[in-house]
Amino acid sequence: MVSVEFEQVNKQYEDGFQAVQNLTLDIKDKEFLVLLGPSGCGKSTTLRMLAGLEDVTGGNIRIDGMKVNHLPAGARGLGMVFQSYALYPHMSIHDNLSFGLRMMKGTDKLDGNEISKRVKEIAQLLELDDHLDKKPKELSGGQRQRVALGRALVRRPKVLLMDEPLSNLDAELRHQMRNEIRRLHDELGTTTIYVTHDQIEAMTLADRIAILDKGELQQHCAPMEAYHNPANDFVRSFLCKHIDDLVDTANALFKKPEEVNE
Amino acid sequence: MTNSDDMRWWYVPLEIVMLRRWLVAAFIMNVLLLAVDYLRAESDLLLLGIISCLLFAALRASLPNVNDTLRRDISLVLSAALLGIAVYRLLRTDPTIFNIWIHCWSLLPSGLTLFWLSGRPVTVWTSRKLSDSAIEYGLMRNANLSKIYHATSTHITLLHFVAITVIPLIWIIDIAFSEGNALGGQIGDSFTTEHFSKILNGDSFWTWFRNSLIVSIGTALLGLFIAIPAGYAFSRYKFTGRDASMFSFLLVQMFPGIIILVPYFMVMKTLGLLNSHLGLILAYCVTALPLCVWMLKGFFDTIPRELEEAAALDGCNQFQVFTKVVLPLSTPAIAVTALFSFLAAWNEYLLALTFNTSNDMYTLPVGLASLISSTGQAWGDFAAASLLVSLPVALLFLFFQKFLIDGLSAGGVKG
Repeated sequence: MVSVEFEQVNKQYEDGFQAVQNLTLDIKDKEFLVLLGPSGCGKSTTLRMLAGLEDVTGGNIRIDGMKVNHLPAGARGLGMVFQSYALYPHMSIHDNLSFGLRMMKGTDKLDGNEISKRVKEIAQLLELDDHLDKKPKELSGGQRQRVALGRALVRRPKVLLMDEPLSNLDAELRHQMRNEIRRLHDELGTTTIYVTHDQIEAMTLADRIAILDKGELQQHCAPMEAYHNPANDFVRSFLCKHIDDLVDTANALFKKPEEVNE
Repeated sequence: MTNSDDMRWWYVPLEIVMLRRWLVAAFIMNVLLLAVDYLRAESDLLLLGIISCLLFAALRASLPNVNDTLRRDISLVLSAALLGIAVYRLLRTDPTIFNIWIHCWSLLPSGLTLFWLSGRPVTVWTSRKLSDSAIEYGLMRNANLSKIYHATSTHITLLHFVAITVIPLIWIIDIAFSEGNALGGQIGDSFTTEHFSKILNGDSFWTWFRNSLIVSIGTALLGLFIAIPAGYAFSRYKFTGRDASMFSFLLVQMFPGIIILVPYFMVMKTLGLLNSHLGLILAYCVTALPLCVWMLKGFFDTIPRELEEAAALDGCNQFQVFTKVVLPLSTPAIAVTALFSFLAAWNEYLLALTFNTSNDMYTLPVGLASLISSTGQAWGDFAAASLLVSLPVALLFLFFQKFLIDGLSAGGVKG
């Protein structure tokens, strides 16, 4: 059982900018939660506070009921996929994948056989078997993306964090990887928090979405519920109107030939 | 306007295009070369040189346009006159390589102009209305020839740079392998290895070499030991006095070295570090550090923070992030920095001369200079020794070449 709770969490940067305000949020076991909002809304900061990359100014973050505010990033048992992938350029794909396993401490420490077994497993899952000896720069964008995903998953994280993982890919690959990410989640059941500004990505991936604006939580519910019952004007314009516009554009595009025929 | 009228304005034979550029270069070179005639105090040759320069300017101005036979004829006359003057000047001076090179700068451009302007493409272009197919052919010919002409002019330019680099080297190699200890004489007129055997068999050279090696490697290592953490801290952490201390690093660089010389000497004397390797290493480190720190900071700035965050999530502590991710990625920059401080120490003269009073403690530059002053200007020995001194440096560069390019471009362009 994994659960994550944000309890009245605040984040204020040194220059006084209030990135996150009184955020209270819970993520259930095996849930796929998407943090959605325009840029600067605090969604990435929220994720980075959970990951341990940013200090928490106020409130508590709990993983499985344990307060992790001051736990070092590596000790929280999370895996993270960065927007730029952040693969280690000087290591082969195999070493990139096994690095986190080799760094495990104490009772989690793994022996060599176990490490190579796990790396093989994850490489197979993500179809990276043929590329294990290559360096990151020899791979295509989609392959790099999969390595980044593999590096996060290979440690069997309690929670998988993804920070706009698809925004560096072209449209077709993005679509493909989106399905892949959802498939992996259904297969592995890892609790996942996914940050994006793309409404369609959020609607298609999420079990529940949390919509943020100016550091404040606007609505937290299943995606279709947010669409049908927007909590306020912001959700209405950011989510509902955007999707309706997309639908209208698509409809107009496909209607045209019929109108010409009439 | 018909189609061909349009095209006529766009078609200029490549010869003319090239001459428009090359004659400017020839003019500038000839003006610069006037200095040689002036220094030789040969007034009639200087006068001819000035006339050539003026003629080059006139020739550049009179280059023909389309359907302009008059200007073409004027250009032909001018280039013929230039060629004549150039040949006369060539015959008047001694046929040394240097003189021939000087006169090539007026011979070749004027000859080429004469040849090209009298050639068929320019003649046709200036004298009659070209047909469409002739213009098409001319444009194609331009495209094909331009590669050759551009390559030629690039290589001529590059040859000059090569000459600037290589000729001093040839001189010093010649002096090192020539008999006697005097300067001058023809290149390659005698051959001996006596200077090398004298230097290599003498004790002094090896003592100096050892001193230089200890001091330079010591400087490089101590410099890196301080500069790597300092550069990383400056790049990644915000702390009180960060900007001030980085600026103060630059401030130290603004003093001419000679101002700090006497204070240095007094400090070293008080510490008892005169005539010691450690004293020199410390002094060189102080001089080399600011640049090393700035270079490394620039490089660390280019390493994405996300990489370090990924490592932190993979379970590294701060020190492991640094040793397992940042350091391996920085090898090019570290190599360049090490090379830089090594070279600074290897070449330094003034401090080494001031701090060290005994022959046993001389470094190579000081030792070499002593060859000239004390033993009656032994140029041959000096040349041989200086070749031997530069050998390790050349080898280092050869070895670090790849790193050097990576390190300088990565740190410099993006940082």
